[in-house]
Amino acid sequence: MSADEASGPQKAGYYHLARAVLYREFLLFVRYPANAIGGIVISLFFFGVLFYGGRMLAGQALTDSIEGIIVGYFLWTLSVGAYSSISNDIGSEVQWGTLERHVMTPFGFAPVALLKGAAKVVRTFLISSIILGAMLLITGTRLELHVGTIVVVASLSILSVLGLGFAAGGITVLYKRIGNWLNLLQFGFVVLISAPALGVPWLKVLPLAHGSDLLQRTMVDGVRLWEFPPADVALLVAVAVGYLGLGYAVFQASTRRARRLGVLGDY
Amino acid sequence: MCTFVYSGRTLSLIVTGSQSLRILVGIPTFAATVAPAKAACADRVIRLALLRGAMTKPDGTGGERHRTADRNGQPPRSADAAVAETEEFPTGTDSRNGVSERAVSRETAIAVEGLTKRFGTGTDSVLAVDDVSFEVEAGSVVGLLGPNGAGKTTLIKSVLGMVVPDEGSVRIAGVDVAERPKAAYANVDAMLEGARNDYWRLTVRENLRYFATVSGVDPDSVTDRHDRLLERLDLAEWADTPVRKLSRGMKQKVSLASVLAGGAEVVFLDEPTLGLDVESSRTLQRELRRLAEEEGLTVLISSHDMGVIETVCDRVLVMSEGRIIADDSVDSLLRGAASGTVVVESSDLDSDAIAAIRERFDITDIEELERGARIEVVAAGDDLYALMDVLSRAGVTPERIRTVEPDLEDIFVGLTREEDR
Repeated sequence: MSADEASGPQKAGYYHLARAVLYREFLLFVRYPANAIGGIVISLFFFGVLFYGGRMLAGQALTDSIEGIIVGYFLWTLSVGAYSSISNDIGSEVQWGTLERHVMTPFGFAPVALLKGAAKVVRTFLISSIILGAMLLITGTRLELHVGTIVVVASLSILSVLGLGFAAGGITVLYKRIGNWLNLLQFGFVVLISAPALGVPWLKVLPLAHGSDLLQRTMVDGVRLWEFPPADVALLVAVAVGYLGLGYAVFQASTRRARRLGVLGDY
Repeated sequence: MCTFVYSGRTLSLIVTGSQSLRILVGIPTFAATVAPAKAACADRVIRLALLRGAMTKPDGTGGERHRTADRNGQPPRSADAAVAETEEFPTGTDSRNGVSERAVSRETAIAVEGLTKRFGTGTDSVLAVDDVSFEVEAGSVVGLLGPNGAGKTTLIKSVLGMVVPDEGSVRIAGVDVAERPKAAYANVDAMLEGARNDYWRLTVRENLRYFATVSGVDPDSVTDRHDRLLERLDLAEWADTPVRKLSRGMKQKVSLASVLAGGAEVVFLDEPTLGLDVESSRTLQRELRRLAEEEGLTVLISSHDMGVIETVCDRVLVMSEGRIIADDSVDSLLRGAASGTVVVESSDLDSDAIAAIRERFDITDIEELERGARIEVVAAGDDLYALMDVLSRAGVTPERIRTVEPDLEDIFVGLTREEDR
C-alpha cells in the first residue's frame, strides 16, 4: 500500500481546481502551438494591411495617430481572444459532453467557469503581448509600457468582454449551432474600443469603451494606475464586474432554461 | 420406462407411466415426463432447475443459452453447480447476486419518487417520464432497458439534474438534489450516450487527474487508484498517449476511467459498451462488477446490449412510454418466464390436434414437418399439466418436448409488446 493509498482520497480545494484548470490550458498551449501561432500570424497580417494600407491612403495622418491604433489593436486582440475562447470553449464543452461534468462538480459551475475564463485571459495576454511587440517593431513606435498598470487596466477592460463571452456561451447552450453568428460580435468590439468615451460620457458604461480610454492614457501618455482619478478606476471596476455578472447571469439563466427544456448537452 | 432423446442441443428424458404422459419437467434443454407417482419429486426438480435457469449440454460444459459469461467474466456454471447453489437457497433467495441478503443491510443510494417530465405544451407535448418511482441500493448495479423513446435518457438526465422534472423528487444518498444539489452530486458522475466525456487533446492520465479534481478529489491522493484503473481497463500502456490517438473502443474505456477517476460512489452509464469489441466489453463489464462488489459502487446502466445487462446487473428496470413496466432482479425476470413456452414436436400433430390445443392455449409458432408438426405453445406452471392432458386427449404422443428458456431480450420484447397492446 502506497502513501497516497494509506491516507485515502483527499478532498480537493479551490487551489487544486485552479491548478488543474490552468495546467490544462498550459498543456494545450504548449502542446498545440499551431492555434496560437496561427492567431498571431493572422492578427499581424491584418495589422500590416491596416498600417501599410492606411499609410498609403492617409499618409502622415495615420503615422501621427499610430500609437492610438496600436493600443486599440492590442486591446482588440485581447478582447477577441477572451470573448471567442470563452464562448467557443463553452460551445465545445457542450459538444464534447464535458459541460455536464462541470455542471455537476461539487465546486459548482461558477468557480470552474471563472477559472477557465481566467486561464483564457492569461493565454490571451501572452499572445497579445507578442502581437504588441511585433506591432511596435513593424511601426518603429515607442509606447509607455508600465506593465502593472497595463495588466490591471487591460484585465478589467476585458472582464466585461468575458461577461459577453459567458452570455454568448449560454445562448450556445440553449440554441446550439449559432456560434458563427455570435462570433460576428467581435467586430462590434472595434466600435466599442474606438468609441469617443471622453466626449460622450454615457459611452463609458459600455464594455471596453472606458477601459480603452484609460489604456490609451496609460500606454501613450504614461499615466500610472494611481494617477487616474479614483472615480475613473471605480467606474472601470464597476463596468467590469457589472458586465461579467450580467453575462454570467445570462449563462446561468440559459443553462436553467436548457435544463427545463431538456437540451443541456444535446448537441 | 425411461427414454432419452437427443436432438441437436436438446437432450430429453421421457419417463412414461402406465397410460399417459402426465408431467412435463421443464429444464431448458432437459425435458422429462414422469409418472403421476413422481409428480412431487418432479415439481421440486422443476423449481430447482428453473430457479437457476440452468442449462445442460451433452458435453457437460453447461451454460445458459445466451449467457456466454457470468458477471465476473467467468464461463457459465454447469447445471450441477447451478442446482447445488440453488439447494443452498431453496426458498428463492436471489443467490445469483445475493441481492436479498445484502439488501437488508444496504442503504439506498438513489431514490426516485413520482418523477414526471413533459416536453412541450398542448397537443404537441410529449410525456417523456410518467410518474416514475424506484430505489437503487448502494453497491448494486441496476440496468435500465427500454426501446428508443421510452424515456431512459430523460430519466437519467432528470436524476442527474440536467433535466428539471415537472414533478417528483430525487434523492441521492439521502440528499434531495433539488434542495442541495452540490451535496447530492458530490459523489456522482456520469458517462452519457454519444458524449466524449473527456478531453481528447490531453493524455489518458491527464484526463483522469483533471476529472478527479473536478469531482472534488486531490488527484495526487488517488494516483494508485488511477494506476489500478488503467491496469484493469487495459489502458496502462496508453496512459501517456493523447486520447485523440486512441481507437473508438479505447476512447470509450478512457471515458469510463475518467468517470471513475474521482472515486464516485454512484455512476450513471448510458451505453457504456457502445463501440467496444467483445474483449473490451467484457473487460469493462468485469471491472464494473468488481467495483460494485469490492468497492460498493452503485451503477445505473442503460444499454441496448442485453448481454451486458444480463451479465452485469443485479436488477433491471424496463421502461416503456415513460413508465417503468418491470422492476425485478435479472434472475427473477428470467425465472418468471423460464417455463413460458413449450415446443412440442410430434407426427400426430395434425390440424385437428392443433385446433384442440388452440382452444386452451396460445400457439405462437407452427412449423409443418414432413410428418406432423412442431408447435410452440405458451404454457407455464400448472398449465404444463393441462397441456399434457390436452395432448393426450388429442391423441398426440410427443416425440420431442422442450421448454424454451427466454433470455433477457425475449423478456424485454415480450414486456414492451404487452405494453404496446
